[in-house]
Amino acid sequence: MSEDRRIGVYICHCGGNISDYVDVERVREAFKDDPEVVVAETTMFACADGTQHEMIRDIQEKKLDGLVVASCSPKLHQITFRGVAKRADLNPYAYTQVNVREQASWAHTDDREGATEKAIGLVRAGVAKTKLSTPLEPLVVKTLPRTMVVGGGVAGLRAAIGLADIGLAVTIVERAPVLGGWVGQLGAMFPHDTAGHDQIAHLVAQIADRPSITVLTDAELVSKSGSFGNYVTEVRIHGQEELVTTDVGTIVVATGFDSYEPEAGEFGYGIEGVLTLPDFMTLVDGSDGPLTYQGKRVKTIAYVYCVGNRQPAGGNEYCSKFCCSATVHASITIAARDAGVHQYHLHRDIRTYGKYELMYTESRERGSVYLRFPDDTPPTVERTADGHVAVTVVDALTGNAELTIPADLVVLVTGMVPRANTGLTDLLKLPVGGDGFYNEIHPKLRPVETVVSGVMIAGACQGPKTASESVASGLAAVTQSAGILMKGFAELDPLVATVHTEACTGCTACVATCPYDAISMIMCDGRDVATISAAVCKGCGGCAPVCPEDAIDLLGYTDAQMRASIEGLTKEPVS
Amino acid sequence: MDYDVLVIGSGIGGMESSIKLADMGYKVLLVEKEASVGGRMILLSKVFPTLDCASCISGPKMSSTINHPNITTKTYSEVLGVKRESNGAFRATVKEKSTFVDWAACTGCNECQTACTVAVPDEFNSDLVARRAAYIAFPQAVPKKAVITRAGTSPCIDTCPAGIKAHGYVSLIRSGKYEEAFQLVLDATPLVGTLGRACYAPCESECSRGALEGTIPIRRLKRFAADRHYAEIDGPGVERPAPNGKSVAIVGSGPAGLTAAWQLARLGYEVRIHEAEAQPGGFLRHALPAYRLPQEVVEQDIANVTALGVEIVTNSSVSDLEALKAEGYDAVLLATGTPRATSLDVPGEDADGVLTGLDFLRQVRVDEAPELVGKRVVVVGGGNVAMDTARTARRLGALEVRVAYRRGREEMPAHAAEIEDAEKEGVGFEYLVAPVSVVTDAAGAVTGLRCQRMQLGQADGSGRRRPEPISGSEFEIPCDAVISAIGMAPDPAPFENLTGVAKGSRIAVDGTTLQTEIPYLFAAGDVTSGATDITRAVGAGRRAAYMIDNWVNGRELGRFPALDDLLGVVDKAEVLARQKSHTRREPVTPDTRFSPAPVDFDELEPPLTEAEARAGAGGCLDCGVCSECQECVSACPADAIRFDKREVISDITVGAVVVSTGYKLFAADLKPEYGYGTYANVITGMQMDRLLAPTRPFNTVLRPGDGKVPERIAYVSCTGSRDKTTGNPLCSKVCCMYSVKQNQLIMGALPLADVTMHYMDIRAAGKRYNEFYEQAKDMGAEYIKGRVAKITEKDNGDLIVRYEDIENGGAIVEAEYDLVVLAVGIQPNREVEKLFTGERLGLDEYFYVAEPDDDLEPGRTDIPGVFVAGTAAGVKDIVDSILHAGAAVAQVAAHLEHAGHVEHAAVAAEVLA
Repeated sequence: MSEDRRIGVYICHCGGNISDYVDVERVREAFKDDPEVVVAETTMFACADGTQHEMIRDIQEKKLDGLVVASCSPKLHQITFRGVAKRADLNPYAYTQVNVREQASWAHTDDREGATEKAIGLVRAGVAKTKLSTPLEPLVVKTLPRTMVVGGGVAGLRAAIGLADIGLAVTIVERAPVLGGWVGQLGAMFPHDTAGHDQIAHLVAQIADRPSITVLTDAELVSKSGSFGNYVTEVRIHGQEELVTTDVGTIVVATGFDSYEPEAGEFGYGIEGVLTLPDFMTLVDGSDGPLTYQGKRVKTIAYVYCVGNRQPAGGNEYCSKFCCSATVHASITIAARDAGVHQYHLHRDIRTYGKYELMYTESRERGSVYLRFPDDTPPTVERTADGHVAVTVVDALTGNAELTIPADLVVLVTGMVPRANTGLTDLLKLPVGGDGFYNEIHPKLRPVETVVSGVMIAGACQGPKTASESVASGLAAVTQSAGILMKGFAELDPLVATVHTEACTGCTACVATCPYDAISMIMCDGRDVATISAAVCKGCGGCAPVCPEDAIDLLGYTDAQMRASIEGLTKEPVS
Repeated sequence: MDYDVLVIGSGIGGMESSIKLADMGYKVLLVEKEASVGGRMILLSKVFPTLDCASCISGPKMSSTINHPNITTKTYSEVLGVKRESNGAFRATVKEKSTFVDWAACTGCNECQTACTVAVPDEFNSDLVARRAAYIAFPQAVPKKAVITRAGTSPCIDTCPAGIKAHGYVSLIRSGKYEEAFQLVLDATPLVGTLGRACYAPCESECSRGALEGTIPIRRLKRFAADRHYAEIDGPGVERPAPNGKSVAIVGSGPAGLTAAWQLARLGYEVRIHEAEAQPGGFLRHALPAYRLPQEVVEQDIANVTALGVEIVTNSSVSDLEALKAEGYDAVLLATGTPRATSLDVPGEDADGVLTGLDFLRQVRVDEAPELVGKRVVVVGGGNVAMDTARTARRLGALEVRVAYRRGREEMPAHAAEIEDAEKEGVGFEYLVAPVSVVTDAAGAVTGLRCQRMQLGQADGSGRRRPEPISGSEFEIPCDAVISAIGMAPDPAPFENLTGVAKGSRIAVDGTTLQTEIPYLFAAGDVTSGATDITRAVGAGRRAAYMIDNWVNGRELGRFPALDDLLGVVDKAEVLARQKSHTRREPVTPDTRFSPAPVDFDELEPPLTEAEARAGAGGCLDCGVCSECQECVSACPADAIRFDKREVISDITVGAVVVSTGYKLFAADLKPEYGYGTYANVITGMQMDRLLAPTRPFNTVLRPGDGKVPERIAYVSCTGSRDKTTGNPLCSKVCCMYSVKQNQLIMGALPLADVTMHYMDIRAAGKRYNEFYEQAKDMGAEYIKGRVAKITEKDNGDLIVRYEDIENGGAIVEAEYDLVVLAVGIQPNREVEKLFTGERLGLDEYFYVAEPDDDLEPGRTDIPGVFVAGTAAGVKDIVDSILHAGAAVAQVAAHLEHAGHVEHAAVAAEVLA
């Protein structure tokens, strides 16, 4: 662009996060001789509404045609400041975010001088890039008013109903032959004593009433293509030759969890009378009166908590959060059926959070004894000569005495583990966290969205949850889907690759390299050239460097812009 | 339908609900009671377990909320009531509280906050520091707009008949802004020095401090400001305005006339005052004795008026108002007061040695005092003029001065202080006596006053008991002079011939506009009302000027905002209750030396020293919060301050309601054994979050008691949770995690500090929470199991925490710390109970909004169309609130789609196939 640009640069203190280690005034001064930088300001919080208003005023009054904010990661605020540009009638893509917090101040807390120099270079690069920005318009894509829900547990079923109730069509894909997941197998659940199978039956009946919901059981999602808002899916149904093809706008993954299976010998697992939590629940749900095991009345139960959870390095460090409450609840049920039963809870912390605390109180009132063992001295479980099992525990509450409890049943309070789902994970390119559960975009504010746009996660596949928490997250995924689908269209970033057709030789190197199948060859003026589907392209930039003719540019990150950025960073010309 | 959905409360649950509903295309009205959206999250330091900066991640959400095209946000507003209509939709009454700032003009520049002279506890910093009455909630507020906190009109302002901002000048003096204090009074009247001495100060009678140690010396503070001003500046220190081409004639230069002249002159009027006496000032100069109001003070005050070009023509008695108007004035103001003394109406009153109090006082002020040395004087009457007369007579050397009054002391109209002062100066009193005749000698000179004794009968029209003569009780008081001070009346001469204007000796005016039947003629002060006092005259003068200006400019006269449209007066009981503790302040009282035989007219009351003035003003309780000192008005570059702005209440209809009213934090002083509120270095978790936040008040972590950087910090978990003694057996869920977060942040901020948490169970239940807890342990935080029993404070402010060391044998341990942080829990916000009219919103047994089927229908309440999001339904951390809000939104959408109340915001876009 030959005309002089009019660029505004705002350098954020981030309330000290940046200014404690970067001399923001010096960064500002670095632009005082740049005639194209019309405004250079420092600000306590660039993201504060007041500052946003100031930027809008500057853009309008000083007729800025480019905006640079030097603050934090674009992950945090790029959308914020693009919004500022938009509200000021500046093309949002004339905005560049420069990350001087994560990349300068936080990275170099021991070197103020260096951090400042680096920040100046980074901002200079951002300004140089902005000078070459051209107006871009968002890509508007039509969205299909149908959602695929993968997983027919409580979260998935409730989500499906929620979607149908706001006018969206749903396809449920459930791997098992029946709907219901874990909850469908449960009797009375905490805290209301509602039976899990009753809940599922209720949901399944509601689904049956809603013709906009299609249920595929014994089914597995095997392929997904297309682009955001317009996915083409294929489902294989067990025993059927033909795949079921469904076009959907969004996908909600609600594939649940697996229960931890202890190793043989882990807390006596394998000994007669040592049960996991799910096995124990089945036992409890299977009868009404006093608990019997193998035909014998159970008089003493020992619960060993945190089996498979909160384990030191190597095991699962996380907490499964539901198991304390589930066990405490079961102990109430058992005590109610048989006041004479002795129940010993060997725990590290009882995590009956919120209103579940009331169950903990009731359990103790009904005679359960809680013994706290030290983290480094877990209980041991052994078979005794008389055919019982005995648990030996160091109890902090009785002065670290070592107690041995002969029990009829030992319940290993096992938690949740991520479900083995490699196929689906790979197919949807879902990110998996260090704990093995699916990762959300942001664990606080965006818990059901994933980095794969249009694909949501709900329920325990994202991390351990209670049934009601899974329902809430299922409905939150409904809301997220509806936000995309109810309008009938969505706007996508136009930062996609584009082919300079006149330079393209049709070598197809780019076609081979695109991970999203966004590039195809078309006939143009009698020769084969590459063309890129803007809706499918993710703007990853992978094709640009493989093109031998430099015929591909990434909009917003053109070769010229990248060169100028590097020059700005190094203050050296780049050839 | 005005909106599809009303969302009440803009914390994280409310913002998430609003944004998601708006993204779906629903039109949302979001109502927030504070000036900024964002709830509590924005006030946090960082969030667990990511340690994201709370401002960084909630700031954009706040911004998206108010900038969303489908969301209308009303901050600083309250939902007064919501009622379900027969069609299933809702009618909500929304009050937009007055911010007293024009938000369209406000740029959020903070100048008002800097200028404000009133400090109040900063609720956005958990009361760790003060904020100003004019404030922007916090640096990242959205919208970033100023608000002025006004609880109402302060009693001192409310009671002032002159409409003087007493609270304002008190707070200015407290801030050392003496000239500004003078200017604030000057804004009402030029008679600053006069009122600082001669006003009867009804403000002091109303002062809320009066119920504690004693009133603020409000009047003397005004004198202090005036003395400071006149010592440094000649004249008012106000620029003479450009003439507006209009002129007004004023008759009478007493307080009403001078005040009106001042106000009109400041508006650019050419003003001429006609004064019958040889000197201007009316009673200020001719009736008030110099020992109360020195002549030079009156002259200084009058010079303010003449400095603005007001011409005072003395010896100019006006008898023809029509002729005066005909001289070319746009309007005429009559302010001639009550120059006529009421006669005794007894035989002998024409005798030599009998005179009226008004004549007597006037003679003294114009150096024509009668010779009273060694004489016996009887003053008849019980008003302030009688007291002035008696005390003046003492100063002229009268041997004996006795006041004869026909009722008792209790019924005397004179101010109690005046009576006491007269007694201190040797004035004698004869109560329940009425004059019958003046006794004279052969030469016609007074030798005595014949009186009869009275008794009190039934109450009369004034509410006082009527004196009735006791027959046969006549007696004589031997004396050489009789001075009557039994009443005053206007001189009707200028208006008695004007049709429809005279009302007895007074002039008839409209009480609000002070206009007479003759439109150009206005009247103010005692000529309209009979004798009152200076402040009333000043108030009337202000009012008259305002009305004359409106009339001259063809505007509706309306009401006088400075007196007629004040905010309601604050309730003093609430003021006293608002202050958590009162520092005892010795009242500043004048050390006036009275002589039983005064000999001169020197001013009696000593001035306040600067130290006394600051101490006296410092005792102000800021009853109305904002003092109306007007500093923000001067400071605001956008001219955005609007003291006359008032709340707006409107009704709106909506298809559904989301209740996201959040929670309250446990009030830690309800656990007295932990000493919160008593021990300075026991703080709450929220306070620690503020100490750690990017906008932290002290820029470091320090303990409030003495500012020391703490080296040993203890956390006490489950404060107000899992505790039946506080009525809350529930677990608050968030306190363990915010404590663990703070443990890590403190170890980062204060690498040398030891952090210990006393806990019951660490409830790190949530994604990556347990890992986060392990990380804190790895960093060196210590976790000790066992509920803390008691905290005691040492003399040096350190704290002793007593607990049973469960894991190490159960011994009772007393550990010493520099700072204790109480991990306070969450309580229901019971304000939701008042939200719905017509039907009750169901609550659970712990007063959270009930979700009848919280297993499968989260967010749904027992009223169809009413949903709940976030902690209003029970304890939740941030991500729980986000998920819960997401669920509530799905429920709202299903309800709206089913109920058919939807008015989708128009969506149009060019769609790529």
